[in-house]
Amino acid sequence: MNNYLIVAGIIFCIGALGVLMRKNLIIVFMSLELMFNAANLGFVAVSNRLNLISGDIFVIFVMVVAAAEAAVALGIIVAFYREKGTIDMDKANELKN
Amino acid sequence: MEALFYFFAFIAIFSALMVISMKNPLTSALYLVLCFFALAGFYVLLYMQFIAVMQILVYAGAIMVLVVLVIMLLNISKLDSVKTDFHQKIIGIVIAVVLFAEIVIYTVGGKTRKPTGEITHKLINKIGNTQVIGKFLFTKYTLSFEIASILLFVAIIGAYLFAKKKL
Repeated sequence: MNNYLIVAGIIFCIGALGVLMRKNLIIVFMSLELMFNAANLGFVAVSNRLNLISGDIFVIFVMVVAAAEAAVALGIIVAFYREKGTIDMDKANELKN
Repeated sequence: MEALFYFFAFIAIFSALMVISMKNPLTSALYLVLCFFALAGFYVLLYMQFIAVMQILVYAGAIMVLVVLVIMLLNISKLDSVKTDFHQKIIGIVIAVVLFAEIVIYTVGGKTRKPTGEITHKLINKIGNTQVIGKFLFTKYTLSFEIASILLFVAIIGAYLFAKKKL
């Protein structure tokens, strides 16, 4: 189980790195999906090790939330692009000043 | 089994790195699909075939098609100028390394609990993967299931509102 958790940790950190490092909104969104998936892998590994089923059920709910989040986030990205003509995250600065 | 695990781990980590380092969002999206397939392989190794199939259908199928469609809508040739500055890179790497160190410390250094549940993978294989998940989803977790349906409904309305011409 430890191996699986380490792999999940590595993927989660790569996702976090992508969120912090990139400015392209679509790539940030995809890094978020990576982090979701790393968490899912952790859930399945632990619930396999402890002979439970709740982790696997939770993964299904995480997938539901990820699908809803994908629809809304991509809607926001399209609206942002229509407003600004770019998907650079630094251009989202209306609340600054 | 071990060899398969390392094979999938290599593919997953390599493609995850590629996702965040590629310049073109479309290339990133395709590498992300590869990463999802590797994760589906992990789920099969962990005796959860149902979740592996859901992973491929929902993530690699539905969500990634949506992402690729949006990339197509946004006229990709203009996006190449989006770059990272140096400070952001350094801060990102430091935070990611610290996060990873914490995860490794808690994973390797923590005590391993004894198995507490009764649902072993042998039992799951005997009854059937989908049957076990369905049974729990519609008995113990019915309320969460209903709330998930409401969440999806709200997401439909939200996506429609954001995609409208006037915000």
